[in-house]
Amino acid sequence: MDFWLSYLTLASIYVLLGLSTNLLVGIAGIFSVSQAAVFGVGAYIVAYFLMNDVMSFLPALAIAAVCCIALNILVTLPALRVSGDYFVVTSFGIQLLATAVFTNWTDGTGGANGLPGIPPPDLFGKALEDSSSETMLCVGGMVLGCLIFWLVMRAPFGRLLRAIREDELAVAAAGKSVLRAKVSAAALAGAFAGTAGGLYATFLSFIDPSSFDLDSSILLLTMVVVGGARTLAGSIIGPFLLLALPQILTLVDIPTTIAAAARQLIYGVLLIAFMLFRPQGLAGEKL
Amino acid sequence: MLALQLLCNGIVTGCALGIVAISFSFVYSTTKIFHVAHAGVYTMGGYIAWSMLEHGFPAPVAFLVAVAACTALGALIQTGLYARLEQRRATHLVVLIASLGALAVIQNILASVYSANILQFNLPWGSKVFTVVGDVRLTVTQLLTVVCSLAAYGAVMWFSHGTILGKQIRAVASNPFLAEITRLRPRRVHVYVMAIASALVCVPGVLVPLDFGLQPYNGITPLLTATIAMIAGGVGSITGAFVLAIVIAELQNMSLLFIPGEWSIGITFFIFVIFMLFRPTGLFAAAR
Repeated sequence: MDFWLSYLTLASIYVLLGLSTNLLVGIAGIFSVSQAAVFGVGAYIVAYFLMNDVMSFLPALAIAAVCCIALNILVTLPALRVSGDYFVVTSFGIQLLATAVFTNWTDGTGGANGLPGIPPPDLFGKALEDSSSETMLCVGGMVLGCLIFWLVMRAPFGRLLRAIREDELAVAAAGKSVLRAKVSAAALAGAFAGTAGGLYATFLSFIDPSSFDLDSSILLLTMVVVGGARTLAGSIIGPFLLLALPQILTLVDIPTTIAAAARQLIYGVLLIAFMLFRPQGLAGEKL
Repeated sequence: MLALQLLCNGIVTGCALGIVAISFSFVYSTTKIFHVAHAGVYTMGGYIAWSMLEHGFPAPVAFLVAVAACTALGALIQTGLYARLEQRRATHLVVLIASLGALAVIQNILASVYSANILQFNLPWGSKVFTVVGDVRLTVTQLLTVVCSLAAYGAVMWFSHGTILGKQIRAVASNPFLAEITRLRPRRVHVYVMAIASALVCVPGVLVPLDFGLQPYNGITPLLTATIAMIAGGVGSITGAFVLAIVIAELQNMSLLFIPGEWSIGITFFIFVIFMLFRPTGLFAAAR
């Protein structure tokens, strides 16, 4: 029972991250390997506020979301103005820089040892001590995130984003600002990633840099690619499937020393195979 | 005197980085693919050489086998992955994701076979120290890196301006359509380009780990720095990429006087942001 609860909680958090990556990669069409960095920033901010008793959970989560929005805009804006390929460099750079900060800024982030003992989340002055109510909170967050994503994609703004994917030039000719639409999508992606970070930190009550490194960013990308780009269903299927993968791998007898590498190897194979044979993923649209 | 030593170290790192930048730029300017998996080829070269040395082969043989293996891997990535994606008219984003997938596959195969721990080369002659000027010391490996990198740079310059194939590659790079019409067969040329670039990146791929040791995930930072050098130097300019790689390595090394080494990625990225803001086309891009 405990296993299923924690699986459901983690999957909910990763659905939020999947939505975030999908907005950026699938919808805005920006290659990104730095979503885990944004996720990490959200997690560390919430952890800092809660551990130092500065404020309660919800305001901390809001601040984390706002910071991640700002971060994502800051990251996207200059790259979008220049050229698509330069964003690859920016994205890798941000990710490596973030890992360097998480690992080496010992005073703020606890360094490689991480931050243990993050207090559980609280809602309206009541602490959620037991794991089932924390699961409820994360599932609630996921449902809210999916609802927002669905509403946004139905709204005129969502249609604008779709149109940009079809023909960027035509949209620009119709007098819409492509840059502004893409940056808005990136901002929304930041809000999702920041919220997911806050939920992650309080659920695990321990965070360290290894959860927010390049490999995690690749995992997020794999989730979107496997699930399918640009659809709500894709962003839900991907995380649920890929989070089950480590459990399946424990059934196969692999030495523990290479378990992490084997997992990453499978992500790589999935990325290649889906790009070659099914770029729309299981339930998505053409990338 | 520390500054002078760092200056020399910067030249050594810069030369090695310059070859990574040249080889990446070679692929990028011809195929227009942002070949992230190049970092994997770079890493694999070192591991192959290490295995050969462990099995008792002499160093030159180990080096040549590593170069051959990298060449084959590069050609395989082009024919097995990029050419197929191109046939399916895959978008740029799809090719990028596939390339990232290839990088993950190569790195993690290496990590599964050799473990993720750091591996050191066991070459006694490599760490023999020479005193150059004053008390600046360089190891044999470092001197070898500079010599090989400069030789590789010269070879690339000669190749792309003095040979038929080099001229064909430049023709395909500047106008693939016209190249197709004049029967230059861009597809085949792309395979050559990937093979040559992969052979080239194997040179620093073997020489750098001689000093610093091997790790499966160590290819990304040099590749990122090299791409920044390529962009800052101006895409398509071989000399630009090489010079800027040395400049960036110098700045990184000199910054060690003021800032601890674990922040050097920040310095690199700072240079990139400065270029993005003030000269996004790069320094040597006037020719294009």
